[in-house]
This record gives sequence, structure tokens and C-alpha cells, in this order.
Amino acid sequence: MSAPTTDANAPTRGTWKRFRRNRLAVLALGVVLLTVFAAVFAPWIAPYDPAAQSLFDRRAAPGADYLLGADAFGRDILSRIIFGARITLLVSLTSVGIGVAVGGALGTIAGYFGGWIDTVVMRLMDVLLAFPYLLLAIIIVSALGPGLTNTIVAIGIWTVPAFARISRGSVVVLRERDFIGAARALGANDARVVGRHVVPNFVATLLVYGSLYLAYAILMESALSFLGLGVQPPTPTWAGMIAAGRDYITSAPHIALIPGIAIALVVVSFNLLGDGLRDALDVRSDG
Amino acid sequence: MKRGILSLVALLGISSGAAVWAQSTDELVIVRPSDPVSLDAQEETTAPGAWVFGNVIEPLITLNADMEIEPRLAERWEFVDDTRLRFYLREGVEFHDGTPFNADAVKFTWDRALFSDPPGRWASLAGPIAAVEVVDEYTVDIVAERPYGPLLLTSTMVYTGVVSPAAVERLGDDYARNPVGTGPFEFVEWRTNESITLEANDDYWRGRPDLDRVVFRTVPEAGARTLALQSGEADMLLKPNPADLASFESSDEFDVLAATGLRVFYLGFNLERSPLDEPLVRQAIAHAIDVPGIVENLLEDAATVPTSVISPGVLGYADMNLDERYPYDPDAAIALLEEAGFTQNDDGIMERDGEPLTLQMLPAAGRYLQDQEVAEVIQEFLRQVGIQVELNVFEWATTFTQLREDPLQYDMFSFGWLTTTADADYTMYSNFRSDQFPPDSWNSWRYANDEVDALLTQAREETDVATREDLYAEVQAILAEDLPAVPIYNTIEVTVVGSDVEGFEAHPIEYNLDLYPVSKAE
Amino acid sequence: MLAYLIRRILLAVPILLGVVAVVVISLEIVPGDPVALMLGEFATPESIEATRADLGLDRPLLVRYVEYIANVFQGDLGTSIKDRRPVATIIGETLPATAQLAGVAILVALAVGLPLGVASAARPHGVVDNAVRVLSLAGLSMPVFWTGLVFIVIFSVELGWFPVAGRGSWRHYVLPSITLALPSIAILARMTRASLLEVLQEDYVRTARSKGVGSLRILYKHALRNALIPVITALGLQLGQMLGGAVLTETVFSWPGLGRLTVFAIFNRDYLLVQGVVLVLATIYVSVNLLVDISYGFLDPRVRYA
Repeated sequence: MSAPTTDANAPTRGTWKRFRRNRLAVLALGVVLLTVFAAVFAPWIAPYDPAAQSLFDRRAAPGADYLLGADAFGRDILSRIIFGARITLLVSLTSVGIGVAVGGALGTIAGYFGGWIDTVVMRLMDVLLAFPYLLLAIIIVSALGPGLTNTIVAIGIWTVPAFARISRGSVVVLRERDFIGAARALGANDARVVGRHVVPNFVATLLVYGSLYLAYAILMESALSFLGLGVQPPTPTWAGMIAAGRDYITSAPHIALIPGIAIALVVVSFNLLGDGLRDALDVRSDG
Repeated sequence: MKRGILSLVALLGISSGAAVWAQSTDELVIVRPSDPVSLDAQEETTAPGAWVFGNVIEPLITLNADMEIEPRLAERWEFVDDTRLRFYLREGVEFHDGTPFNADAVKFTWDRALFSDPPGRWASLAGPIAAVEVVDEYTVDIVAERPYGPLLLTSTMVYTGVVSPAAVERLGDDYARNPVGTGPFEFVEWRTNESITLEANDDYWRGRPDLDRVVFRTVPEAGARTLALQSGEADMLLKPNPADLASFESSDEFDVLAATGLRVFYLGFNLERSPLDEPLVRQAIAHAIDVPGIVENLLEDAATVPTSVISPGVLGYADMNLDERYPYDPDAAIALLEEAGFTQNDDGIMERDGEPLTLQMLPAAGRYLQDQEVAEVIQEFLRQVGIQVELNVFEWATTFTQLREDPLQYDMFSFGWLTTTADADYTMYSNFRSDQFPPDSWNSWRYANDEVDALLTQAREETDVATREDLYAEVQAILAEDLPAVPIYNTIEVTVVGSDVEGFEAHPIEYNLDLYPVSKAE
Repeated sequence: MLAYLIRRILLAVPILLGVVAVVVISLEIVPGDPVALMLGEFATPESIEATRADLGLDRPLLVRYVEYIANVFQGDLGTSIKDRRPVATIIGETLPATAQLAGVAILVALAVGLPLGVASAARPHGVVDNAVRVLSLAGLSMPVFWTGLVFIVIFSVELGWFPVAGRGSWRHYVLPSITLALPSIAILARMTRASLLEVLQEDYVRTARSKGVGSLRILYKHALRNALIPVITALGLQLGQMLGGAVLTETVFSWPGLGRLTVFAIFNRDYLLVQGVVLVLATIYVSVNLLVDISYGFLDPRVRYA
């Protein structure tokens, strides 16, 4: 992920107008909202208890009783997908939240102060970026042990360097601008300058990248769950359902294949949403 | 451009021939889930290794598929006295490297495992052995420190297969990947995590095997193994996926071969923690779980309903009549819990003194057949009688370490115990004597009963088989009453072969895979 | 140029030391004792202690780290706890399988991604462009392991065209390499399109056009070469993606490579093997990105090495 040369505008009323013109992005927003709705109201929407087993109906094909079929325990796949949305959203939102908060803070500090602080922070980020995709998260999560919190922490740490670079890039550009110099000349202290003048100027950038990273975070959570390192059963997670369905790939492929559609759909939506936001907020990027 | 790509492909070293698909009739391709750690029984006692080296090295005597003792490198044997077992060896047998097999080789093999530092992996299975003594070129004595009943079965273990002393000395550490024995097949090649190849031993003392080559391929994905057999890429499938068995059984192209195994998978109780220290609660749990239902519906009959804490194939087995004592009966479970002072609250959860009945469980996951799935089903069965179970699922490494901790931090756990030696002593002594608590041994339930302690010591020192069987039957009757664990399933050793594969017999001991009698039809 | 190279390489060293430090510290807090696990059910506390001492695991963290680094510089990556063999040997046996898979996948990504990108740029917002846009969005959004399973169901279970169990003939490469290449195809197509469109706006292209040079000719002769520069950067990053993505692809297709080895090593708590694999993968990744930076000079004479 290369640092964007940003010239971002803070969100304004015109933003929504521009966003609305992008029909795909609006559709994506719809899917995201639907997913949020399903996650929040899961107990009322789901046709079955996601944990209720019915061994006689094990591996039932999609049909009238089970719209999307039943898994190896005879649990309703649709209900498990609906409940699984909770984990998907919880993990992606909180982990990207960590990335934005920690990475944003580190990048801002590095970019604003420069010098040795900049060097130390950014070299540290380089170390994290030197891990090929997935390996860093795998190592962190295996060190901390699988589970919800640790999955969030691992993915959060993985997203930190990207946000650190993004915010540092923005801050370095902004620091040289006149209005910051003016604020300083007027005697504002560092924290005040950063808080009042620097941060709001790259919020738009963070918003766009946040949305794209939600998509990456979901894929990362899926990968960890698939490898058995994520949130553990019987809590339904989409990728966990795929992993458990692998053994039945010849006899009942729907168990593994259907939850993947949910993942792809939500990831596509966050990607489109990010693209839409980028256009609407007029954030330039080379990613 | 096209040529460019082709030469790049060549550069990457990809063969363009369809080597794996073109199989000859005298080559047997076996697919199984994992690669061995080593091919030296010193360092490797798990099935993936033993399946391979069990065809390269041979023990003095062996157990056939009916669990009867058969001669191998020994022609006959006798107890000279209570502690001394004498073997008369076969003459004229040679190792694959051409060196002769004799009593010195037997002593070398056993000494290497039992008395080197650190000792071999199977040393702790062998029992209190004092020495292995060479009587003459073809006679050898195995001597126990004190009267030790299981000694004969110890000598049938696949790990005791005799190795070529010359090869071990010549190869040093490399022996682990170049085993040399007297068996029907010779080792050829091991490609890590990919395949191991064996070749027929032309000079085998029982006559050359029919198969020319055997290739063990490593395929971790269950679905991929099934596909490999279905597509004809493989001839033999070890550890098939239970869900696929029905389709294999109904097809003419495949044969499913099975033998009742020696592993029992249990739900174990931590008897040191309340309320599982109360027999009523343990009995209630036993009534709440539909064991035959789990075996039939979740395991797809790829296991059997257990009748004891050890398997029917084990010397000393006795039926614990669990189906009569603790039939599936949720109402009885609820009644027992109420007798123990619990009442169901408005949410249907059992409570006592305002405390809900919540049990922390440490289930085995990713280690045994459907282990994690079984835990999820148990959780559901117990929920139906008002017991909340929290599953603490970890990777196997973490679970294993926690199981060995003292004290055990969980109320319940699940585990699959294999009676490796096929002798009840191995399981009973380490699992049920009060001086065998973890981390030193395997009494994970912290079961303590003086009567059982005494019976187990007596049974170990007795060499008369019938007497030993009676003693173990007594122990199992007591365990059925005390119920430190609920057996959930007894393994079946299942192998699926293409219908052109002949002569293979499934063996109750997971580690035994005898390929000598196997042939492929033209 | 040489000075630049040396500076870049020297900068990479502390990063790799940091990578090792992260891995060593992480593994230190991993629950689960690798030795007890390795010795299995028959182990005694004495044999566990003896083995720990034998492997040097009973010494302090810092001592082990410093010694490990010193050994690494001599080409010694230590001994695997589970296999009791040199880590370097195990990686040496396993790396070719991953290199072949990633190599084929990169070729597939280039062979498919570049033409798609060029075709999209030829007529922006045309039918082809829109189709490629949708496809690349899908390629980036589907979990790799799921795509692999879909391929298995279609091409192995239903059609029986390709085997899925491990490595052997060229047939074994088809499904895993396409699976692994899919996200990279998407990225390369997007990058090529964006980069080409940008170059096409530049003066010299406009000049060529005004002189009456045909548009296809412009595309190939003038624009593509310059447009390739950012694409090559992307390719470097894609290799990193593939080395990580191989963990998933190799799992789904039972491929005997480094990715699967990493997962096994982590599950077995085989510390030194995990350290070794991560170090090797990170070194490859850092080196490839270094090479990418250097290759700019050959493609774009404007770049100077400061």
C-alpha cells in the first residue's frame, strides 16, 4: 500500500450528493446496511436457533425446510449466516478501528514531529510491512491464542502500518501549508494544532481507506477462521462454516460453498463503498 | 511468447508427463492425512510413521487381524520363568543391506530403545524390562525386573521391529529417513510432506511380495483424499471421511474394509471439582447423552457404540453394560439432577443455591475423528437437561498441554485413548490408579479408589491370562458404578480400496498396516 | 548506483532483524509446550526436561535471540523441534513447491491481467472495460480458499478434469495456480488500465496521435512501455500477497509447500521452523521489492538513484 498524495476535502453536504450519483456505491451501501440490520436483529430474523442441531437433517440440501440447507449437525445454514454477520462486522469494525486509531495517531505523531521520532516509528512500521500477507496476523493470533478478542487484536495490528503511512503522508504535506504555520505563529501548542488543523484535514482519506480496509479485514478474519485460528466454534462465523464444510465437499458441497457467497458479497460492498466514497470525497490515491 | 512461457515452465521444473495418473498394476498408491515425523521407531510412534516402517522392519512376533499371536522373526517362544521370556529366532534371514539377522540384532534394537539416553519413544510402553540377553546366535531372552504379565504383548508391538545394526551405525542421524530392516518392502525415497516410496524386497524370507512398489502420498484434505480414490489416482484410502463411506459402500468400484479399533473416545469428568465430584451429577450427564445416536448420526457408523473404557480387542476387556445402566433418558437425567438438589429455573437452566449449573469443558479438537463435532453435540444434549456447557476450544498443542496440567482447570474434557499395547494394563494402570495423576501420568479425571489400585497391581504382576482377565473385569465393574468418564465411541479402523486391490485385511491396531498379502488384479 | 544498492541492502538488514524479533517474542508467549506435544502420550516429566535442555529451550529469551541471529549469519537456521532436522534443510525441500506454484501463478496473472488491462484501456467504459471491472472486483473480494473450493467442486468433483491432491503432473498445477493468481489478475488488470490511461494523456502520446499514428500502435509502441512501471511495482507487492496467499491455497489443495509447512509448524509449536520460514519469506519479499525499485532505472531513464 503506497501512501497517497492526498488533497482531501473534509466531508460536506455536497459529498452525499456526489455519492448518490454512483448507483453501484448506493447499492453497496444498501447491502452493508442490510448486513448490519441482520446482525443486530439476528434473533428475530433467523428462522432457526443457529445452535439447534437436528442430526436427522444433517447435510440437508437447500429446500423448503432449510432455505440454504443444513450443515453436518443439521443446523440451519441461513440462520448461522445471519448470526455469523455479527462476528464479521464486529471483528472488521473494531480491528479497523484499532488500525485507524493507533495507526492514525502514530502516523500523525511521526509526520508532525519528524526527526528521530519519525524514523523510529516508520522503521517499526516497515518491520510490520515486511511480513508477507497473512503471516503477521497468523503469528500474532497463534501467540495470543485463537478467539474473538485476539482475532481483533491481530487484524488490528496488521492494519496499523497502512494507516500510519496514510496519515503520516497527509500530515507531512499539511505541515508545510501556510495555515499550520500561521496557527503556530499565533502561539497554538502542538496538540492544539494537530487536533484542530491537521486531523480534520485527512479524515476524508481515513474514511475512504477505512472502508476499503473493512473489506480487507473481513478477508483476513475469514482466512484466520478458515485455518482454525479465528473465532472458535460453535460460534458461527462464515469462514468457520466453510472450513467445517470442507470435509463434505464431495457429498454436500453446499455446506462449504454457500457461506462464501456471503463473504464475497459483503467484501464487494465495502470495496464499492470505498470507491464511491473516494469519488465523492475527491480523495486521490494511487492504490 | 509461447515458447517463452514453455521454457519458463521448464525452468520451474514442472514435469509435463502425467506421471501420477499413469499407474501400473503392480504399484499401490496410498493416500493418508499426514507425513511421519521419522521412520525410526525410536522417534516415531504414531500411525503415519508406523504404517510405513511396519512394512520395512518386523518384530519377533505379531498380532494378526484376529488379535492372535503369530510368529515373525521368532519361530517360537516360551516363558522360562515369571520374568524371563525366551525367543528362538528364524535362521538365514538377511537385512535389506545384506547383513545377517541374529540375536545380536535383537539385543541391539531393544537396548537402543530402552537403555540409551534419552530412551526411545516406545520405552515407556515396554514395561519394567531389566535386560535383553543373547543366549546364542539365534536365541534371545527378554528379562523383566519383576513378574510382568504384559511382556508377551509388548513383544508384538510394531515399534519393536528389528533394525539393521550395521545400517544404524553407518547412517547415524540419517537412519531416521532411511530405515533398514528385514521386511517385505525396502525403503526407496521420502519427499517431505509429499510422498514416501517403498519397493519390493526380492529376497524376502516369506517370498517376494506381489506388489512392486508402494507409494504413500500425503493429502491432508479429507475431500481431496476421497477425490483421489474416486478418480483412480490412488488405490487405498486410509482414514476416510465418515460422510463419504456410504457412497463407497454402495459402489462396486470400491471395497470398504473395517475392524473394530482399540481407541475409545471419552467425555471425562474432573472428580476434584464440584459438582462433578457427586456421582448423581455424573450419572445424570450419562443419561442425558444419546451415545448410540451420536455414533449413528454424527459418526455415520464409522465408529461403534463403546461398551467399556477399553475396546473389545484389548486383553482384559469386559462389558460395562453401559447401555443398560445409563440409557439415553433426559427425564431420568433431570430427576437425578433434582435429587442432587438442582432445580430448573425459568430459562430451563439447572440451579442450586442460586448458582446456575455451568460446566467448563476442554474438548479435544482436530485430533480425533469428529472430536470437536462430538463436543458440540454433547453441549447441545446437556443444554436440553438444563446444563450449560462452555466449550474451550484451542489448537491441539494448547489443549494437550492444559490436559497435562495439575490441577486441571476444567470440569470436563474429551480425549481419545488408544490401548497401544492391546493389553488392559497399559490403559488401566496409567488412567485409573490413584498414584498416576498428571503431569506424571494419565489419570486425568483424578480417580482414586483403593480397591481398584490393589486390583491393578495384582493384575500387572500376574502372568496367567485368565486370572488377569478376571481381575480387569472386576475393575471395569467398579468403574461402571463410579463413572469417571462416559465413553462416547469406539474407533473402527476403516480402509477403502479400489475393488482391484486384493488381499488386504483391516487390523484393529491403528498402527498395523500389513501390505505383504496385498496384490492388484490385472 | 552501486552506493544506492549497498545503502538499500543495509537498510533491509535491520528490518529483517526486527521481523525475527517480532517472531521470537510472539512465539515466546505462545501457550502450549512443543516438547510435551512432540513426545506425546508416553512422555515423562524427566524426558520432557531432558529434551528441552537438549534443544536449548531452557535458556533465556535474549540469549536465544542473539545466538539465533549469529547463527543465521552463518547460514544456520537451527533445528526443527518436531523433525529434529536442520530448519534450512526442511525449507530447502519445501521452498521449490511454493516457488513453482507462485511462479506459475505470476505467469498466469501477467498473461491474463495485462491483456485485460490493455483491452479495458483501449475503450474506457466500453463493454470489455465494464466486464473486466466486475471481474476484477470479484477477484479481489472472494476469499482465496473459497474460490479454490468452488474450483474443486466444479472441475474435480463434477467434471473430473483436474486432480486436487498435491503435486505431480502439470494437471496438478492448473487449479491451485489459477486460484492463487486470481486476486493478482484483478490488481494487474486495474493497474494496467489506470496507468495506460494516464500515459495516454501525456504530451508525447498526443503528439504521436496528432501526427496520425494509429491508436493501437500508440498503445503498444509508445504507451505500454511507460505504463508498465507502476505495474511492476504492483507485481512486487503481488508476490508478497502470493507468498501469504499460498498458506491458504496450499491448504485447500494439499500442496506440499512452505505455506502448509508454516501452518503445521505453528500448530506444532515448532518455534525454530516458524522463525526460519518467516525469515525466508520476509527476505524474499524484501528482496523482490528491492529489485523492483532498482528495475525502475532500466525502464524509466528519468529515475535517478540519489
